[in-house]
Amino acid sequence: MLTLLFFLLYFLYLWLVIDLRLIYHNGGAILNFPVFYLEWEYFCQTVFWPGGLVGYVSAFFAQFFSIGWAGALVATVQAWLIWLCIGAIIRITSGRKLMRVSFVAPILILLLYCRYIYQFNVLMGALTALGFVCLYLKIPSRSNLVSFLAFLVLSVILYAIAGGAAILFVAICGVYELFLKRRLVLGLTFLLSAPIAAYIVSLAVFNISLISVFNNFIPRYQKGDIGNVFRLTAVYALYLLLPLTLVCLWLVETLRKRMSRVVLHGQRGAASTFESKVARMYAPFLAIIAGMLVAYFYHNSVLKTQIEVNYWSSNGMWPQIIEVYTQNPRNKFINHAADRALFHTGRLTQDMFAYGQQPDGLMLTSETATPLGMWRLFDTYIDLGQVNLAQHSLAMLMDMYGELPIFLKRLALVNMIKGDTSAARVYLGALSRTLFEAGWAKGWLEKIERDPNLSTDEEIQRLRSMMPATDRDFSSLNENIFFDLLERNRHNRMAFEYIEAFYLLTNQLEKFVGMLDRLNDFDYDRIPRVYEEAMLLYSYNTKKKVEVPGREISKESQERFGGFTMVYTERYKKNKPAAYNELAKDYGDSYFFYYVYGPAGMKK
Amino acid sequence: MSRRLIISVLVLFEILLSAALMVGWRGQTVAIDKYDVVDRPARIYPDYGSTVIPPNIAPLNFMIKEEGAYYCAKISSVNGRPIEVFSKSARIQIPEDRWHELLEKNRGNELSIDIFARGENRGWSRFGTITIKIANEDIDGYLVYRRMHPTHVLMRGRLGIFQRNLGNFDEKVVLDNRRSRYTAGCVNCHTFCNNRPDKVLIGVRTREEGDNTLLIEPDAVNKLKVKFGYTSWHPSGKQATYVVSRMFLFFHTAHFEARDTMDLDSMLTYYVADANNVRTSPGISVKERLETWPAWSADGKYLYFCSAPMLWPDQTKTLPKEYGDVKYDLFRISYDVENDKWGQAEPVLLAKDTGLSITMPRISPDGRWLIFCMCEYGSFSPWQPSSDMFIMDLKAAEQTGRYEYRRLDIDSDKAESWHSWSSNSRWIVFSSKREHGIFTRSYLSYVDENGKAYKPIVLPQKDPEFYSYTLETFNTPEFVTGPVIATGEQLARVVRGAAAISVEIPKTMATPKPEKSQEWQEFKQ
Repeated sequence: MLTLLFFLLYFLYLWLVIDLRLIYHNGGAILNFPVFYLEWEYFCQTVFWPGGLVGYVSAFFAQFFSIGWAGALVATVQAWLIWLCIGAIIRITSGRKLMRVSFVAPILILLLYCRYIYQFNVLMGALTALGFVCLYLKIPSRSNLVSFLAFLVLSVILYAIAGGAAILFVAICGVYELFLKRRLVLGLTFLLSAPIAAYIVSLAVFNISLISVFNNFIPRYQKGDIGNVFRLTAVYALYLLLPLTLVCLWLVETLRKRMSRVVLHGQRGAASTFESKVARMYAPFLAIIAGMLVAYFYHNSVLKTQIEVNYWSSNGMWPQIIEVYTQNPRNKFINHAADRALFHTGRLTQDMFAYGQQPDGLMLTSETATPLGMWRLFDTYIDLGQVNLAQHSLAMLMDMYGELPIFLKRLALVNMIKGDTSAARVYLGALSRTLFEAGWAKGWLEKIERDPNLSTDEEIQRLRSMMPATDRDFSSLNENIFFDLLERNRHNRMAFEYIEAFYLLTNQLEKFVGMLDRLNDFDYDRIPRVYEEAMLLYSYNTKKKVEVPGREISKESQERFGGFTMVYTERYKKNKPAAYNELAKDYGDSYFFYYVYGPAGMKK
Repeated sequence: MSRRLIISVLVLFEILLSAALMVGWRGQTVAIDKYDVVDRPARIYPDYGSTVIPPNIAPLNFMIKEEGAYYCAKISSVNGRPIEVFSKSARIQIPEDRWHELLEKNRGNELSIDIFARGENRGWSRFGTITIKIANEDIDGYLVYRRMHPTHVLMRGRLGIFQRNLGNFDEKVVLDNRRSRYTAGCVNCHTFCNNRPDKVLIGVRTREEGDNTLLIEPDAVNKLKVKFGYTSWHPSGKQATYVVSRMFLFFHTAHFEARDTMDLDSMLTYYVADANNVRTSPGISVKERLETWPAWSADGKYLYFCSAPMLWPDQTKTLPKEYGDVKYDLFRISYDVENDKWGQAEPVLLAKDTGLSITMPRISPDGRWLIFCMCEYGSFSPWQPSSDMFIMDLKAAEQTGRYEYRRLDIDSDKAESWHSWSSNSRWIVFSSKREHGIFTRSYLSYVDENGKAYKPIVLPQKDPEFYSYTLETFNTPEFVTGPVIATGEQLARVVRGAAAISVEIPKTMATPKPEKSQEWQEFKQ
């Protein structure tokens, strides 16, 4: 019962807390999440390579991570099967039930998920190897020759289907024969003949180098992977768990035999029965405690938030982003997503300084060439109309992360906007062969079939009307990224609000004011509050009046500015530290405060 | 009944049922006695109608783009048994043996494809006949090309050179990054001497191994520690001329094709195999000019190449504002291979006369025809939608003294480039973006003795829908008369191996050594 409870809690934790959809979505955090296509060429490319079959199967199941509960179920079942195999192997090889050892594996796996590290394929390789060990142990093994042949055949098959994971099989079988069955020659032969099996696979089966056989499922250090330490520790601990356990069992048994020659059978029998009953109870109980501790100490909630925000951003879930941003005001990636959310909810020009703002957050200018930056920027570029910039980011990311569905969807969209529906069809064609994105893709393919130029699709037409006409090289962009858009379409609201936001964030009020004549190109019912504040500041600093035809600065903003200047200049004589608390309390959400102090969103 | 027996019977029943269903799924042969006539040919994809095909080409499987629940395609010609393919799906896959038999018996004749379609509750309709001409001349047995994503800078994804048997659908790796085990890099510039599979140069640029060139010869495969750009073998095989350049990759915000590249500086040099050194000549490495795209004439007496004036200071490291003004001329220079003597470069066609930039000259093995590309500016036409192919009659030019050219009828409004001739000068293969936008595909076209190019066919695939979902481009196609003699792991071992031949490069090079490629830019973390 307790074991069932352990795995039930495991499943619920993965589903509701970790949320494996975030691993599927990726957000730039995971370098090795697999693609999966339901088509023959993909099958051939994947399977006809060492480790390919297991890789294919794990890629298939990994797609279920896109459905929260299904992914959690798949991951839990995998952990359970590994637990089951380890327990069975220990029981068969040593005659002992060491449940507490079996539970170490799912705990190590949980550690990986807590850190949002994807190793589902490696674990599948390990599971396959453990399954083959069980198979080997089931083969009657009176003769050394039969055992050796069985081992060789199984290891060749395992190298072919699971690549480097076969080393686990070799290690366990070798240790078992060497130490527990005391068939020294056989055990040593197993360990030494492992390269032979790998060589047979590399040469006779695939015609590739020996090392290529081990490329799959043997984790190694990956540059740029933030989870290197946890990944390598957890996976190698998992690989070493059983071989070391078997060696320890042998040691314990050897010592026990030496120390105690005479044991009363009845007493021993009673002691082991009692021991098993206790072990059956406390092992899962300990495992539950261990799992809770791992979840508490190792859950990377910061990374989770980052991926989550990106997930929401990709799916237009704006309120969730804004809410999270209040708790993470210093994270520029979340800042970027929050600004986009504020724009899409019509609040950028009203409330942007009610939240933490940093100049780099608006367009991630220092991150345009980094994977995390590009991952966040391609949707922003599309929203703005800078379609080639989006295409460039997506192409770079696809080269780095693979043909992930999100890239294919966006590249299809980008090409539809550019009018290259023939290229869009190819991306959609690929998507229509995935497990869970096929419906979306087929919908668009049918639309293109009916309307090849998508002339009746309002959203596509709107985005097309925003693409810049003035061509520039990417390296010479700066503010032109927005000017070119406004030159093409004066009504590109996002370009306008973003360039103004950029000027406000960098305190370039002269330039900000210079753009105000465009305000009437949009349907603002009044001058946005943040703009009023900036206009008042500009007038105060330069003694120049700022006017927008047909509009006036509201009394409310004027009074607020009056209050701010009274506190800051008259009461505190522009002593910034002294004035901070009072100004933050009443004006922390204003541009006035940002202009003076930099950080925003300090209103209490 | 024992349990085992019951299980065995059940398993056998399942097998038989599955087999029956599979047979049932395949279209059964039916007699089509009555049908309505549709007064137009059926729409098929790929569109093979009115094309000219090689008699040794793989089956031209296709999709029928007409409504229906059952289909039949009858393929016939003057001689031999017609082929009938029935299908419950719109996918027509022609049996390979029957196809080859039919084509072999009908060289020079027309192939007719009659398509029938039937709805669930209606009778058969027969569409107008689609005709295809079968050429007399074979196409070379193999095509070697590169497959990769339409990448922008990095090349960490799957990338490789493949060879395809044009008589069937077999495709094998020549060299790819998976076997070579490099994490970022490129394989390209595969050049075959006289379409031979046993004298090949392949450029390999990787982060791990640096820039090298593989030289495949009948008795050995060696790695040369030198980077070859676009290369052309002298027909004698004694030397290979290649480009040395400083390329600059950049991107447009408002062009249809976002990517662009140019040579900040370039010159031609040549590798002399016997001496194992690299040389150049003043005629092909003028300091004030950018030379590129070498192409040897069939008799080896002339090197054709493209050349443009350098419009910026020679140490420029950033994008010059004049990049859009660079237009390349077509030149040729005489050469005596026995004495390694070069003549004076002479213009063949000037950009000021064409108004366009001339790139990628390739001469047919019989020496008669020169096909080249022209585009709005620059040297890299594959990334310019304006790029089209043109043909020039060299034999006529010898007689008249005038180099006249015309656009090939087979051009489209998208980029055409990377053309290559078959060994018998009757077929060309080229890369085109006509059907799938940025996804370049390889097309085969027949060129008759008058230089007329016929409607091309896309490289046929077993799955006729293949190109509708493949995210890789097929570029730099080259005809080869047989399978490349060293491929896959053999080549990968050489790439990975430490052994490499140093090549003597003279100190008096007109152009500085190429800088480290932009492709190894690291993401900032």
